[in-house]
Amino acid sequence: MEPFEPVIIAFVCNWCTYTAADLAGTSRLSYPTNIRLIRVMCTGMVDPQYVIKAFLEGADGVLISGCHPGDCHYINGNYKARRRIKLLKEILPRFGIEQERLRLTWIGASDGIEFAQVMTQLNDQIIEMGPSQTRMNVAI
Amino acid sequence: MSGKFAPGKFVDLRFQSPRIGFYICHCGLNIAAKVDVESVRDYVSPLEGIQVSRDYKFMCSEPGQAMIERDIRELNLNRIVVASCSPRLHGKTFMETCRRAGLNPYYFQMCSVREQVSWVTEDPDLATQKAKHLVNAAIQRVQFHHHLETKTSRVHPDVVIIGGGIAGMQAAIDIGNSGHKAYLIEKDTTIGGHMLQFDKTFPTLDCAACIGTPKMVEVGQNSNIELLSFSEVTHVSGFVGNFILDVKRKSRFINESLCTGCGECAKVCPVSIPNPWDVGLASRKAIGRSFPQAIPITFNIEKRDRAPCRLTCPAGINVQGYVQLIGQKKYDQATRLIMEKAPFPGVLGRVCPHPCEAECRRKLVDSPIAIKELKRFAADRANLDPDDIPKILDRKEKIAVIGAGPAGLTAAYFLRLKGYQVTVFERSSVPGGMLKTGIPDYRLPSDVLDREINYILAHGIRLETHRAFGTDITFESLRQEGFGVLFLSAGAHKTLTLGLAGEETTRGVIDAISFLRDVNLGRKTDCGNRVIIVGGGNVAIDAARCAKRTANCEVSIIYRRTRQEMPAYGEEIVGALEEKINIMPLTTPTRIITRDGKIVGLACTKNQLGEMDASGRRRPVNIPDSEFIVECDTLIPAIGQICDLSWAHTMPGLEITEYNRIKTHPDTLQTSLEAVFAGGDMVTGPATVIEAIAQGRKAALGIDTYIDTYIDKAKTDTDRVPIDDNGPGQGEMENYSDIPLNIEVEERVCVQSVDPAQRVLSFTEVEATLTEDAAIKEANRCLNCAICCECMECVTACEAKAIDHLMRDENIQIDAGSIILATGYEPLDPTPMKQFGYGRFANVFSAFEFERLSNATGPTGGQILIRDENNEFTRSPKSVAIVHCVGSRDVNYHEYCSRVCCMYALKYTHLIKEKVGHDTKVYDFYIDMRCFGEGYEEFYKRCQEEGTIFIRGKVAQITDQALTPLEQGKLIAIAEDTLLGELVRVPVDMVVLCSAIQAREDAVDVGRIFGVNQGADGFFLEEHPKLGPLNTATEGVFLCGCCQKPMDIPDTVSQASGAAVKALSLAVKGRVDISPTISYIDPDICVGCKTCIDLCPYSAIEFDDRRQVSVVNEAVCKGCGSCSGFCPSGAAQSRHFTKKQVFAEISGIF
Repeated sequence: MEPFEPVIIAFVCNWCTYTAADLAGTSRLSYPTNIRLIRVMCTGMVDPQYVIKAFLEGADGVLISGCHPGDCHYINGNYKARRRIKLLKEILPRFGIEQERLRLTWIGASDGIEFAQVMTQLNDQIIEMGPSQTRMNVAI
Repeated sequence: MSGKFAPGKFVDLRFQSPRIGFYICHCGLNIAAKVDVESVRDYVSPLEGIQVSRDYKFMCSEPGQAMIERDIRELNLNRIVVASCSPRLHGKTFMETCRRAGLNPYYFQMCSVREQVSWVTEDPDLATQKAKHLVNAAIQRVQFHHHLETKTSRVHPDVVIIGGGIAGMQAAIDIGNSGHKAYLIEKDTTIGGHMLQFDKTFPTLDCAACIGTPKMVEVGQNSNIELLSFSEVTHVSGFVGNFILDVKRKSRFINESLCTGCGECAKVCPVSIPNPWDVGLASRKAIGRSFPQAIPITFNIEKRDRAPCRLTCPAGINVQGYVQLIGQKKYDQATRLIMEKAPFPGVLGRVCPHPCEAECRRKLVDSPIAIKELKRFAADRANLDPDDIPKILDRKEKIAVIGAGPAGLTAAYFLRLKGYQVTVFERSSVPGGMLKTGIPDYRLPSDVLDREINYILAHGIRLETHRAFGTDITFESLRQEGFGVLFLSAGAHKTLTLGLAGEETTRGVIDAISFLRDVNLGRKTDCGNRVIIVGGGNVAIDAARCAKRTANCEVSIIYRRTRQEMPAYGEEIVGALEEKINIMPLTTPTRIITRDGKIVGLACTKNQLGEMDASGRRRPVNIPDSEFIVECDTLIPAIGQICDLSWAHTMPGLEITEYNRIKTHPDTLQTSLEAVFAGGDMVTGPATVIEAIAQGRKAALGIDTYIDTYIDKAKTDTDRVPIDDNGPGQGEMENYSDIPLNIEVEERVCVQSVDPAQRVLSFTEVEATLTEDAAIKEANRCLNCAICCECMECVTACEAKAIDHLMRDENIQIDAGSIILATGYEPLDPTPMKQFGYGRFANVFSAFEFERLSNATGPTGGQILIRDENNEFTRSPKSVAIVHCVGSRDVNYHEYCSRVCCMYALKYTHLIKEKVGHDTKVYDFYIDMRCFGEGYEEFYKRCQEEGTIFIRGKVAQITDQALTPLEQGKLIAIAEDTLLGELVRVPVDMVVLCSAIQAREDAVDVGRIFGVNQGADGFFLEEHPKLGPLNTATEGVFLCGCCQKPMDIPDTVSQASGAAVKALSLAVKGRVDISPTISYIDPDICVGCKTCIDLCPYSAIEFDDRRQVSVVNEAVCKGCGSCSGFCPSGAAQSRHFTKKQVFAEISGIF
């Protein structure tokens, strides 16, 4: 039995977390390849539909990461994201998706090291949770 | 790059089937080492829509880009995907490539397989796999891209520079010289910044002021530079090319255009504060200037919130002001300052209950200032001659004041100063009210009171005695005499009765007020030898102590509650006990025992305290069967006073309260009758002198406003000056001066008083005035809570009439095209690093302190001296240790290197040798010597040759614990000399710490305002540390100088010029491209729920009422996507991040 390799989609904001990801790259820090980034301009741009789409397509975990509260490049997009994700987390279990598969973090533009750590930790966490049932049932 | 480019044609390629060109870059070995690029290329080749799939060593190079351009033209490609580095790095590069080839740049998608894959993955197979996923996502996404045109916006030609240090000044000069306008906004009172605090600069040893002041002058004189000093930006809105800044110009309280900088004001200012420019080593006055070469040259006044003493005083007397003037021996000015709010300084200095002292912040150190004693001292010393009062021009209005007590006389005084014709009517034979007939001479001597009353009357106030209101004169009779306004202030002189049988008729029972009046007017009283007073207030104590002064008198006070609850002043009760007056608490009288119509005894019962009553005090409850008899021949009830309003029927319509007092408007003291005002005890009930005086002044202002507004109609409602302008700083946030950490505890002044045994023999004043020495010493204990005490001495001294204490902060708005941040740095405070002893040992100095000592305008006039036992700078050091890396290269503080410390440490070694003497032993403790710049290495060599001893080892500790005789009285630097491999102990006289350069504490707030983030080290985050050190994530906002990272002056000046060029390139071009990746709301789909309008952080969405849909203002929208992330109908979409595009990317990534 092959060890479970999750697929994790991360929606990251251009100004902070994506920059941190680039910094992790230039610093040559390693983290698992299971995480695939999708760049958005702001976490406030992340429609809950994207998250659900990701889970339905077979994601075992979804991460949304943006600027620290107070530092959003667009002033308060991250606050809106936080509210949406909170509500979305309430709804996900009704679709049979565990709340813990969806995570929201704040990673600043100079936190390359933290980015790599969060990705690794997230990967470990999802591995422990096992494959998403939605994936098993619905994945194409 | 190829020079030819085809103009972008608008062809909507959405409906054409996608013809995609895919390119994967090797990036040398950066990508190719981990990602099998050929495999990815081959994987992509057969995918739907792919016309060509290539790999190349360096896609971003000329041949790489040319390859794409050729393919676009020859293969008619309409989509391009490049898999290489981060889109943040070369996204724009490839978009340009497309545009040159005639393809709209937004048909391009970039996929990062370097930062996201090859550089972060160990296993090549996993890396290649991941790359394939990401590439597929990009290919799926790009099919849904649309044609987008960049817009252009105009750029405002002006530039705003924040920070007036060397960086800001240089940038301003460069921009000013180009012909464009620069605003230089500096939050301090002067430009110059930290550089001007230095003495000499390395390695040339130019004097900082010599090279800095010409720059300052140039800024001040350049016609294109508008200098806004003492100002801060509070808010920024807009976008690149079109910024709107809200600037708060803080008030200096001095008119910039009038102040000549002569300094006469500072000479007379009584308040000293530590000068921040001298890092606290020297002081300046509350009105002052940072340093003599400051630009602008205008002084400023440091004001905090008004002192608690002043705010507590019911009359609003400027307590801090007169205390400071006393400290300066200006007794006349002090007394005049008091009289601006209260005309009875000598009276108040003796009888006021001083609520101000309870709030005095000195109590946090030792004990409150003896404010009342100081007031008395000033009044007793002042030489206010009634003959010197200038003649006052009469106004036509006549005002009648009823009652010549403190309230009435105060009102009369202030009304007279405004020119009204005032007559005071007094029922008794003498003026003074309770001051005269209530307060005994041993507390308030008659001559003091009379002198002050006469001074008031000497302003031109008529006094008519033996005029009782209601009988001799009435409201009507006064009206007929021409009095337009009446002020009722007859006080509360009727004593409440005990309610005992026979109280009115029994001989020997005298009410307290009558008793005191007789005593004070020198009449004979019926007072016997065994006197009982009933009551616990000041009247009771006064009556008791007066009775005592009748010979052979035994006096007892009966009070129904406990001694602690007696409402009389503590000092008075103590005085009574010292005079051997007996106090019987928890006792209530029940019966008067008479013989032949005269009192011979009083029956009383004992009480105990029961439940709380309405006033919050525990009710006394009778203990049954506890009656006992006290022998006496005089009974003086003193349980409270009420007003005599028997004349009220002559004034129909005058409202009386339930407590039998006159009802008035709280702000104006106007009664229910328009032309009648009232104040003092008649309104408040029995209260203190200061409250009566406060009421008198308030009523005077109320009457004046009434006459001007309603009778004269000279002013309209809007012209009215507020009743009492409290000026800036209302004390809400309690912003007071800091109490110095090393303040010494001092004892409060002791008041001399007559021996208690001697006191009762006469009515001579018990307490003495302070001596001059004692008073000045006491006045100097004042902490100057508000800093500037508003004594107005500076206003008197200023010949240019430039001072305006009522000046307010001003808010202005500036338009600008770009912003340069040059806010600089601050030094790390070494106090928390206990091992270095900064703050503990007097002769451990920080780098800035050393600079100020060495600077000619500093506290020692440029001599390098150390502190002696009295903390004065007197001695020359014979040996000095300089410690590198204090807070830098330190995981506990800052991991980075502060870059300049090694060089300025060398500078210090040189300065010490030069100024103190070449035989001074200088020890430089370093980890590395970083001498990287031009002339730096040579300077190092020179300093080595001068004989400085360099020890390679960071100092672990500075101690004063001597182990050998040589170390006695010295500071010992303990370090490991790593070259010798030994621990060394080096005894020195002086230690200088090279403290780290760090980001300013307010950098977070400043960054938020301008949209600039901080890096992990706290400095502002640049776009790219190598290729974009002056740009920030926010277009149009640039950085320069130490706010970006620690740097020396040459680098700062270079950066400043660089930032100026960047700002100018925007300004000169006049146009800037605005990204089209903003939001768009499809009006056909929008249902008009309006939720997006509230979500937009830029208020960029408006509601079109006609069409009932929301519309995006394209000039303001920044494309954050808050609206599109929410829109339930999908009407709101972010261009270039549409739902279709992102869904495609999600699908493709699996």
